Amino acid sequence: MESETGEETKLQELIRHWMNERHAPDILPAQSTLLGRLLDHIRKQNETVQLLRADPDSSEEEHFRIMLAQTEIERVKFIVRSYVRTRLYKIEKYARFIVANPEIQERLSATELEHARRFAHLMESHFHRTVLQSLPARQRGLADEVPFTPPMILEPDKMRAVFAMARTQCPPVRLPDGSTSEMEKGQISLTPYYVIEQLLARDEVELV
Amino acid sequence: MALSVSLRSSVTPPELELVASEQLIEIIPLISMDKTAFISGAYGPLRPPAKCKLPIWMATNLKLKKKCHIVPPAWLNVDFLQDRLTRETSQPEFCAMPFRFAEIAKIILDVASDDVENPDKIRSLLKDLREARQAKSREGITKLDHSELSLPNLCSMEINEIRPFFIRSMGVLTQLTRDPAAAGDA
Repeated sequence: MESETGEETKLQELIRHWMNERHAPDILPAQSTLLGRLLDHIRKQNETVQLLRADPDSSEEEHFRIMLAQTEIERVKFIVRSYVRTRLYKIEKYARFIVANPEIQERLSATELEHARRFAHLMESHFHRTVLQSLPARQRGLADEVPFTPPMILEPDKMRAVFAMARTQCPPVRLPDGSTSEMEKGQISLTPYYVIEQLLARDEVELV
Repeated sequence: MALSVSLRSSVTPPELELVASEQLIEIIPLISMDKTAFISGAYGPLRPPAKCKLPIWMATNLKLKKKCHIVPPAWLNVDFLQDRLTRETSQPEFCAMPFRFAEIAKIILDVASDDVENPDKIRSLLKDLREARQAKSREGITKLDHSELSLPNLCSMEINEIRPFFIRSMGVLTQLTRDPAAAGDA
């Protein structure tokens, strides 16, 4: 039904990563190089548009090219912004977990990691100054593990279900009920996130 | 905070429309334009009345300024949709439809209904198709278990509609199966 001619462009790749990030309950590896290249592209297009606008001999045809180029710049900027905001939202939500786990830190860029550290520190000192320092010493902890209650440090919920669509024939994965599932190209399946986590990291599935 | 509350739980239909608008569609231009390099690729040249392929967002832009005519894709006509509708109502599985047909059909019918033949009939066929498929998705909830559910031929907008409910149901089922005593009672 759908014809995908050849490989995908950088923009299509970013859109795919953006959608993956929007749907995934965990933070996915940062696509800093891809983002950098697209931001460069945006800047170049912007300069070209400024040049064309400043030129007084522009014909009506030029006018349309300028308008379409500007519209496209706005579209790409929106996608980049939404991608960064989604990651930021997850980073701030799981800031304390990130600070404590080196494994998830590898998936963040340097600036994101720095932001996570400062945010976690800010939150802890805020809680401490407003409430905790007035409590008895034993109740000041922010990392208590009490039985039958969820942990105080929020961690990503890898059991949450996601809709995954296979981009190629996938190797078999183990499902929670013990059976194995091998997805074929174009197959859509609803399954807990951790089942397809590795497939997603290798770009064999995308979240839909 | 970085993401507004309405965006946190799921992807919104306008965002799905944005993604669908990157696909290519054929137009009959009414202005000429040289080959231009955009971020998503190089398009053109536009030489009326020769047909040309452009992304849908570009085509809608030009159409709104009355500078082109949109050629509806091969699946957006009465015969094809009628055939799919009869298949949908006679078989228990979902029939194959283009993955983003709901978004693309909406854009084209909104912007270029004069370029489509018989738009009202197409609108009613799409509506019937949507209702038939929704009824099947609702039955699909009975097949839901805690491990996996395969949904062949389901489309982007439909997945988005069932997403919140199916995800929460699977979450509840997972919790029930993690606790063997509760599963024994149920």
